[in-house]
Amino acid sequence: MTAPNTDYLIAHLQERLAAEELGELGVRIEARGPGVVVTGTVPTARCREELVRTVDEELAGLTVRYDIVVAGTAAPDLPEEVT
Amino acid sequence: MIRVAAVGDIHLGLDSEGLLRPALETLPDCADLLLLAGDLTRHGTPEEARVVAREMAGLGVPVIAVLGNHDHHDEQPERVTAVLREAGVQVLEGQGTVVDVDGTRVGVAGTKGFGGGFVGRCGSEFGEPMMKEFIRYSRRCADGLRTALEDLAGKGCGTRVALTHFSPVPDTLAGEPLEIYPFLGSYLLAEAMDTAGADLALHGHAHLGTEHGMTSGGVPVRNVAQPVIRRAFHVYHLSGRAGGSQLATPADVAG
Repeated sequence: MTAPNTDYLIAHLQERLAAEELGELGVRIEARGPGVVVTGTVPTARCREELVRTVDEELAGLTVRYDIVVAGTAAPDLPEEVT
Repeated sequence: MIRVAAVGDIHLGLDSEGLLRPALETLPDCADLLLLAGDLTRHGTPEEARVVAREMAGLGVPVIAVLGNHDHHDEQPERVTAVLREAGVQVLEGQGTVVDVDGTRVGVAGTKGFGGGFVGRCGSEFGEPMMKEFIRYSRRCADGLRTALEDLAGKGCGTRVALTHFSPVPDTLAGEPLEIYPFLGSYLLAEAMDTAGADLALHGHAHLGTEHGMTSGGVPVRNVAQPVIRRAFHVYHLSGRAGGSQLATPADVAG
């Protein structure tokens, strides 16, 4: 039996993330070196947990590195003067 | 001076209740209006729209929105729109609205917009019916925006803002994979803005993009997707002009 093709695993994972509860299309998932890197910004800490759970499940057996930020909700410090 | 607050892609879900509210409640001190550049929900369900409605209700400044592709996913954008309107949010699609800011008429024209790509790297109305409809839909959105901007000029708006979800320019997509640019915006939106004239263009959709760009006709463009601005909103100060704002001349557009 051949090892699963990482390219298609990632493609199917992206389809699943869009279709399921997260409705997530804004996260980047790329094969890098021996593993996979997941980067992006999600709306809430709960979304981050759900994302990690889904990715770990779909890419079980692969080394996955995460760089996921929860969107900032603070008011801005300074306005921009648009000229 | 006109103070325009804006954010897009807030993607509120049932776990987002109250998340943006503390920042939004500072708006009356720092902005004259709040513009929402689409993708207010995750799946476009009425339940998610109600979370958005509660977050945006009674903020003390006018709130004007366009929907995004996520707000269409559940295929009931009319219900999403109705829920938001009940909370006092104006939802634009090929329409404009006028806000009075200390005697200055500020016009906001909005459309969700759509993809298709940018000059020299775009789809065209050719081939399969689905492909033709893809581009025709994008064109209809852009035409609606142009008409709305022209109407606002006719109504004496000294300052006009174009609000979209999809991007009018590739500049603000920098950071996104080049291969998906045609799904992130269309030059037809920029052409509409450059033809009708606008003082600022705001959009979302491209989470990995960058904030600053400009149309080839010189309209400043800002990608206000929340993952890009990393705040609850950003505020842009525009110097308001009295009287009717100018329509771009063909030379301006070409230049």
